[in-house]
Amino acid sequence: MSTINNPGALRMSKTSLRAVGTLSLASLTLTACSKDTLNITNPNTPSVAGASSDPQALQLLATGLLRQNRNSRGGFITETGRFGREAYVYTPQEGRNTSAYLIGIAGANRLDPAGFAVGSWSGPYGNLRDVFNFKKTVTGSTLSADQKRAALGFAKTIEGIELLTVIATRDTIGAVVQINQDASQLAPFVSRDSTYRFILNTLDEAAADLAAGGAAFPFALNSGFAGFNTPSTFRQFNRAMAARAAAYYATAGGGATAWTRARTALDASFINLNATSAAQYNVGVYHPYAASPDAPNPLATATNTDLYAHMSIDADAPLKADGSKDNRFLAKIGSRPTRNAPQGLGVASSLGFQIYPAITTPLPIIRNEELILLRAEILLATGDKAGAIAMINNIRVNSGGLAPTTLTAASPDADIVTEILAQKRYSLLLEGHRWIDMRRYGRLNQLPRDLTTGVNAHFVARVQPLPQSECLQRVGKAAPLAGPGC
Amino acid sequence: MGRFTTLVAVLATTALLPLQASAQTRDVTGKVTMAGAGTPLVDVTVGLVGQQVGVRTNERGEYRIRVPQGEVSLLARGLGYKRQTIRLAANENTANFSLEKDVLQLEGVTVTGAATTTDRRVAATAVATVNAAELNRVPARSLEGNLAGKVAGARISDNSGAPGGGAQIQIRGATSVLGQGDPLYVVDGIIISNAGISSGASAISRASGSTGSSQDQVVNRLADLNPNDIENIEVLKSAAATAIYGSRATNGVVVITTKKGASGQTRWNVTQRLGTQQLMRSLGHRQYATAADALPFAGGPVGEAAIREACNPNCTNYDWQGQLYGRTDPSYETLLSASGGAGNTRYFASVNDRQESGIMINTGARRTGARINLDQTINSKLTASMGVDVTRNFLQRGLGNNNNAGVSPTYTFGYTPAIVDLDRKLENGRYPLMPFDGGGSGTANPFEVLRAIQSDEQVFRQAGNARLNYSAIATGKHSVQISSLMGFDRFQQEGVQYSPNYLQFEPADGFLGTAGQNNVSSLQTNAGLNAVWTWTPGGSLITSFTTSVGGTYERQKQDVYRIRGRGLLPTRRIAAGAQDIATEDTRTEFRDQSYYVNEQALFLNEKLAVNVGFRADRSSANGDREKYYLFPKYSGSYRFVNPLTSKIDEVKVRGAWGQSGNRPRYGDRDILYADGGLIGGQNSLVSAGLLGNTGIKPEVMNELEFGLDASFLKSRIGFEFTRYQRKITDLLLTFPLPPSSGLGNQIINGGQLSVLGNEAVISLIPVRKGKFEWTSRVIYNANVQYTNDIPVPAFPVPGSFGAAYGRNRITANTRSSYIWSNAPLGANGAVRDTITYDSNPIHITSFNNDISWGRFTVSALVDWRAGGAVSNMTNNLWDEGGQSRDYDDAAPATIIPATTNQPASAVCGTRTLGDCRYFTFNGGDTRVYMQNGSYVKLREVTLNYDAPEAWAKKIPGARSLRFNVSGRNLAIWTDYWGFDPEFNNFGNSNFNRFIDLAPFPPSRQFFLSVDVGF
Repeated sequence: MSTINNPGALRMSKTSLRAVGTLSLASLTLTACSKDTLNITNPNTPSVAGASSDPQALQLLATGLLRQNRNSRGGFITETGRFGREAYVYTPQEGRNTSAYLIGIAGANRLDPAGFAVGSWSGPYGNLRDVFNFKKTVTGSTLSADQKRAALGFAKTIEGIELLTVIATRDTIGAVVQINQDASQLAPFVSRDSTYRFILNTLDEAAADLAAGGAAFPFALNSGFAGFNTPSTFRQFNRAMAARAAAYYATAGGGATAWTRARTALDASFINLNATSAAQYNVGVYHPYAASPDAPNPLATATNTDLYAHMSIDADAPLKADGSKDNRFLAKIGSRPTRNAPQGLGVASSLGFQIYPAITTPLPIIRNEELILLRAEILLATGDKAGAIAMINNIRVNSGGLAPTTLTAASPDADIVTEILAQKRYSLLLEGHRWIDMRRYGRLNQLPRDLTTGVNAHFVARVQPLPQSECLQRVGKAAPLAGPGC
Repeated sequence: MGRFTTLVAVLATTALLPLQASAQTRDVTGKVTMAGAGTPLVDVTVGLVGQQVGVRTNERGEYRIRVPQGEVSLLARGLGYKRQTIRLAANENTANFSLEKDVLQLEGVTVTGAATTTDRRVAATAVATVNAAELNRVPARSLEGNLAGKVAGARISDNSGAPGGGAQIQIRGATSVLGQGDPLYVVDGIIISNAGISSGASAISRASGSTGSSQDQVVNRLADLNPNDIENIEVLKSAAATAIYGSRATNGVVVITTKKGASGQTRWNVTQRLGTQQLMRSLGHRQYATAADALPFAGGPVGEAAIREACNPNCTNYDWQGQLYGRTDPSYETLLSASGGAGNTRYFASVNDRQESGIMINTGARRTGARINLDQTINSKLTASMGVDVTRNFLQRGLGNNNNAGVSPTYTFGYTPAIVDLDRKLENGRYPLMPFDGGGSGTANPFEVLRAIQSDEQVFRQAGNARLNYSAIATGKHSVQISSLMGFDRFQQEGVQYSPNYLQFEPADGFLGTAGQNNVSSLQTNAGLNAVWTWTPGGSLITSFTTSVGGTYERQKQDVYRIRGRGLLPTRRIAAGAQDIATEDTRTEFRDQSYYVNEQALFLNEKLAVNVGFRADRSSANGDREKYYLFPKYSGSYRFVNPLTSKIDEVKVRGAWGQSGNRPRYGDRDILYADGGLIGGQNSLVSAGLLGNTGIKPEVMNELEFGLDASFLKSRIGFEFTRYQRKITDLLLTFPLPPSSGLGNQIINGGQLSVLGNEAVISLIPVRKGKFEWTSRVIYNANVQYTNDIPVPAFPVPGSFGAAYGRNRITANTRSSYIWSNAPLGANGAVRDTITYDSNPIHITSFNNDISWGRFTVSALVDWRAGGAVSNMTNNLWDEGGQSRDYDDAAPATIIPATTNQPASAVCGTRTLGDCRYFTFNGGDTRVYMQNGSYVKLREVTLNYDAPEAWAKKIPGARSLRFNVSGRNLAIWTDYWGFDPEFNNFGNSNFNRFIDLAPFPPSRQFFLSVDVGF
């Protein structure tokens, strides 16, 4: 019989036994019980806490604000372009890219909150969250006082720009202007008037910060900001945006005071009244694009083959003295194979845009040509009709190749407004202005509707609705937390 | 540090106490034999009553044990036998045991803690046990297949018929929406990985994404385990049983014990299996007589030309599935094991090589592995054991399931009339182009694709464990055991994908050729320290108190790296230098700490059992990493011996309540930035759309379980019934944030799921006469699963297709297993996304029967699933493509007749059956493809012959010889239209386990085995 259990075959002294025990226990104790063992960091994505203290963070976050702003820019232009009858998005097999914008909820003359046409909301607010984080990072950083002011001036300018996009598309609905640290906590809605005042104050604060911001930003701005990449030159961009915001406010209840603010801001901007060439009109701030891994210009003629121009742009194009069409029309509009929306939702178009020919063509945020036309608006509103006509003629002659206008200081204001809007239409084609400008002057009813009868009858949207996802969060809430128009 | 340190310090002190061995001992020897036959029983444990450890019998059934002086009680127990206790007077030194077979599984032990077990007959929770013999009756692709139909409360299903594995075990229903849904697998005390990670087939099939997805016929890593090394599996189900595994245990725990050596001469065992396989069920194919019949399905001018050429004047119909899935090449399995021991060392060593041929061209799986388990007695107090397991698993599973490239064969066939010979090599070495379904680069000839592509998965896996056991005190009344355990499980998975640039579908994306390299490296370690004090006071009131305390530390680390290239230079098989490259690099790591206290007490001559305990866990995955989450458990049972009449042997009532957890996913706690992308050459950071939650905590399951176990007529009939209710709260969910906050969603805890279910097992010995014995076991389980409430808007479960194809939705106060899909059930027959069917079967019942007659044994396992709808998207594809076998059959008036609850589907009119099904679906009524998944399946059949010793002796050195013929998945009886209602396109998933989408077809497998023992 073999021995199965033979205790004592391998005798160990008590001491060595204890040593074994101590060692095995010690090794366990050391690794197992320290709570620090559990503190491991996520190697896949930077954490907010971890990245904020990194020396690179400020640069990355600043770039993030521009990148986020650029992300929603293409959508803003194609959406407002459709509302303003500048553009169509004729995607084969996707009629909703037409119906959701031009028909909305059939027969109801409004857009569907659960549909496609609810852009310029989550994008801008996404960036406003980043502005919020950026400001906190700057405040808690070791930057010098000057650098902090410069960085804050930059962030607040972006804040103003994003909110302006929101209020320009929501208008009377109002907007949320506050970002809460706790994202699950609803922020209140404020009126259109309060929103505009908040935007103007924010941009003014930003201007003050930039003025005290020293000689350079504590981060680099991309090539789209060439000429506007120091606190003092960036301030000129800030003032240009403030002039636009104030002019929008002026036609939305801000009145004379707002026009004055617009004038003051415009004077401190980079406006060049002596511009005569395309290069001079194009001076401004842009978003650059590049091939992958960067992103292409979403409106590029080469790649966005679904983007068509409204046929009325051709019909309405002013004629030069020799009978040929406006230079701006000739430069910006080209032909495309005729296409229509599927299922009879629209009318055919054979016009395309050639404003952004390549995927690397930059997209303007604001440029001198707009500032000259803004000045025309301001001068008219503040009683200087002659001055306004001079601005109009500058653009007509130099940008359009047209004869000066036949309007005079004796012409009715309304006619001069008509002329300014016509010039803005062609000068700022597909830059996100037409629909907003027509609404500002109460002329949405003048926009052409392609189909006026039947189940597919078109209408002109006045505002974009709140997205349903925002409404659902505000169901049953009392003002100011309730969602207007939900 | 805190309490945990104190605990460890106490344990350490105990361990270092001077050895106070009782000097007064004596040796007892004896022999253990089988009752009736008198054959010696090996590997039977003999020990003192109430103590955890004992000695094992050798190959002659003999043992020797050292016991204290005086009167002692010895207990012998072995797997599959009823235990026996012998009381020895102070002057007796011999105890011979004679054990009876335990057909009803009333005996054995069950795990109650990291270092404790209890006798099954006093267990207070329902535990399913499967031993080696039952497990390995018929070879299976992976362990899930070996367990199917043998575990009450577990639903086990293959995800496809592809060789090598890929299956899921779901215990007592779905317990989580976003969290882990698989049970925890523990092998010899070490938690192993059951991760299922794509090897990148999506790079070719485009099923989802461009590198890898859950639709890639993913193999979960349980497939690496060799079932032949397993001695015993216990499936812990209720929270009271799994609470000992804390915050990873809501889905149950599968405790696997591998074989150990027994002292004595080395016993060698060699098993050689030879097998083959065949397509179990074909979908058939529409038959065409003339060109005119086929032309409507030409799919374009190329197809039309092909039809005119092929059908001149009559078409020849080919059996493409028979050709593509007709491979019957032999499968092999070689097993070699050695077990024995000398002196203080015992060992078990095994080598296995399993080669499975797939029924599809160019598919197969090969698993090669070795294991060594060593047990060492260092002295009377100290024992050590260790195990090492090394495996290579190589899988070629071809392509299957969803695809968007025209390469998944069952998908492609659905759109292409089988009237041309595709399986034909042309002079240029190519195969004919697929002329149908457009005939361009949107489709392909599967016969060429499967021969030309490479879609390989190779896994190298190493696992090991070491245990040190110190018997600090061992007297007649007290025993203190201290043990420490450490182990690791590591695997390296490599997925290689290659599709040459000349294949028909390659130009579709503008790039010729696809290559992918997918590497996964995973390392899990755990360490534990346990102290167990057993007090056996003697007397009938208190039988024993077993108190255990301990702690664990666990780590799981996983890195996934993928690179995929499109646009390859000719014959180049790597992604580098390709025109279009995508990469993925993701790492995850978990670290968990825990401690536990456990008290298990037996009273009144082991009639009353009471267990109380808790485990406290903290994890790097939780928001608060310092906080311990407590998981308590309480359970008890009482045995009535011979109540009412002597015909009732014993009735046990049991009840248990416990909590277990499911920890958050990796990164749920982190507040992260997202990579904003480039602008002007600069990188950027922006807020992530999904916000982490710094307060995230484990999901918690509360489970209440009641049961009744009884045996009758001297163990001829056994009955086991369990009813459970589980409520899972603090679910991980994504909460939508107001868009004006600037963020999209946040991970939160909230809501409640619940499951209510019944399990029953009836074991019988209907006939026992002389050498003839028939034993039978019926296992029944049924449950209903609910979403009780959720603090977020209702949502389809993650990883769903759209409403047109059916999916589970998480909606308050509704069964979570309901299938939501489009149906004209709105006002005035308006189509809406609504509840159409229930994917949960009414019940699943399996019938195990063993008949032994002398040297012959026959066993069969039949599995019956009643009800449970399946979304048959395969049928949908085949109808859309016009290729269903029954396409031309006459249609009923409507596919779905009206019932009291539901209106009829669209009127078929003059349409044929297939046409009408698709027409109805196209009109927004998906009910036609939500089909009844009921089936009866003959899972296992085996015939075993134990040759007489005289035969064995003809082989030099041989002691035993056995022959075996067996088959798996031999037959299925079902009205289901597709291959197998058990399959799932998405692989392992908590919900949506009913999507049949062009899977790798199921196969019937046959084996012939010869087993020689030396």
